Amino acid sequence: MTDAPTLLWRIVAALTVVFMLSPLLLLVLFAFSENSLLTFPITGLTTDWFVKVFENPKFWIAFEKSMIVTGTVGLVSTVVGTMAAAALSRMPPRSATALMSSLTLPVMLPPLVLAIALANYYSMIGLKFGLPTVIAGHLVFTQPFVILIVHARMAAFDHSAVDSARDLGASPLKAFFTVTLPIVRPSVIGAALVAMALSFDDFVLTFFTIGGGSTLPVYMWGLMRKGVNPQINVAAIVLITITIGASLIALRASRYRG
Amino acid sequence: MIRGFSARSWLLLPSVAVFMLIFAAPLVYFFAVSFWRKKAFSVVPDFIPDNYIRVFDEYSISLVFTFGQATLIAAVTTVIAFAFAYVIRFKAGRFGLPLLFVALVTLFGGYLAKIYVWKTILGQSGLLNTALMSLGLIDEPITALLYSPVAVVITLAHYTLPLAVLPIYGALRTVEDDPLRSARDLGASRFRVFWDIILPQCQIGLIVAFALTFLFAAGDWVTPKLVGGPHTSMIGTFIEYQYGSRVNPAVGSAMAFTVIAICVVIVGCVALIMRGALRPR
Repeated sequence: MTDAPTLLWRIVAALTVVFMLSPLLLLVLFAFSENSLLTFPITGLTTDWFVKVFENPKFWIAFEKSMIVTGTVGLVSTVVGTMAAAALSRMPPRSATALMSSLTLPVMLPPLVLAIALANYYSMIGLKFGLPTVIAGHLVFTQPFVILIVHARMAAFDHSAVDSARDLGASPLKAFFTVTLPIVRPSVIGAALVAMALSFDDFVLTFFTIGGGSTLPVYMWGLMRKGVNPQINVAAIVLITITIGASLIALRASRYRG
Repeated sequence: MIRGFSARSWLLLPSVAVFMLIFAAPLVYFFAVSFWRKKAFSVVPDFIPDNYIRVFDEYSISLVFTFGQATLIAAVTTVIAFAFAYVIRFKAGRFGLPLLFVALVTLFGGYLAKIYVWKTILGQSGLLNTALMSLGLIDEPITALLYSPVAVVITLAHYTLPLAVLPIYGALRTVEDDPLRSARDLGASRFRVFWDIILPQCQIGLIVAFALTFLFAAGDWVTPKLVGGPHTSMIGTFIEYQYGSRVNPAVGSAMAFTVIAICVVIVGCVALIMRGALRPR
């Protein structure tokens, strides 16, 4: 027997899930639609749009740039963020929280404001726009996630094992790699993937600081300005698959449970 | 040595350097520019309040509209997110984790893709209209769907919903079952348990969810541009215009800091109101 309140809750959950997922399912469905106008009813299915996108060298140039940015950001952000998390985990909780809140500020700022502030600043100090300026910008808003994720794990573990290693003569670096890292590795991997997903998906900051050329989202933006077209769906699917894939692995790695 | 700062603190240096050089310094410079004066085709250092006066003179309608939209989006999103998180925590049983999983997979990524897909759904010959027409439910396409403030609300609510679910669920997760059961056994009504025990405990989650969605909605520029149409004059569009079209970066900067200041005030007020309203009696 289902009573009325239970039914109501089920409807709330079902509608929310539909609201969250159906746009993404439609996005995928219409990448296969024969009709270039993206309308119902669907007359036939085709993979032509995928072929068209994948045959376009511009797509692959953008893809490569995205990979360069994301790879560099993932690596640097993870190293820098993990170092900070290690230092923070040894501080008194009050100082650590205060410092972490400050370092998290870039995430709270609207991306547009950060993007324009950065572009202004780069011009002022005479930095040429390009992938390095994009990478620098991405570091600012990805490192807070790395710090938060890795710190959450490090704050919970027993530092006496590291202290013992140090007492027995291990160098700080050796103690880190043989004792600390194996314990926190899943969180570090998770943090790296989250940083990479965020970097890979970023449009606003990249758009304002890349100068010429495109990453995948900027390439997609270029297509979008010309109107609606299934090729955009294909580019969107590539983007979403990679970011969702990365975050799924991250969730598994860090055993996130809410 | 300062208490709390040990030999290990140098590990913070790279992180702090990134923060200082690529966040704090650009922001301070950008703030300084908001007091500069326009001269010919550029802006020159000065210390005048004119840009802020212009923002309030010429863009106050847009500011009111922006913050109205942002408040609506944040309120709608927070309510839906709360209902969803509540179901996950208390009602869904073993389906809780799969539901949480749905929110998580849609969290990271797909910013442009999500805005684009709403454009294809809401358009005049978009998915919703053509579906309704081929089902015979409507004869004429509903034109009011796309290029309207409503489209911006739907699109941004969709984008920010997973972001709002997580902090609320995080707070609800720490609510323990025993006190709830005891309260019910001692005769408290369901509503009373909800209002006096559950809601006060997820206050922080609600405030964080509201703040995140509000800040994002108020500062967004791509959504109004792509689905908002001519009657959606959100301030992000003007900030970008002042900078992108080299009109007057100083005014753009003054707008940006006006937006930040108003955001801080509104989020602060909402936090205070929620604190007051959600206090257990």
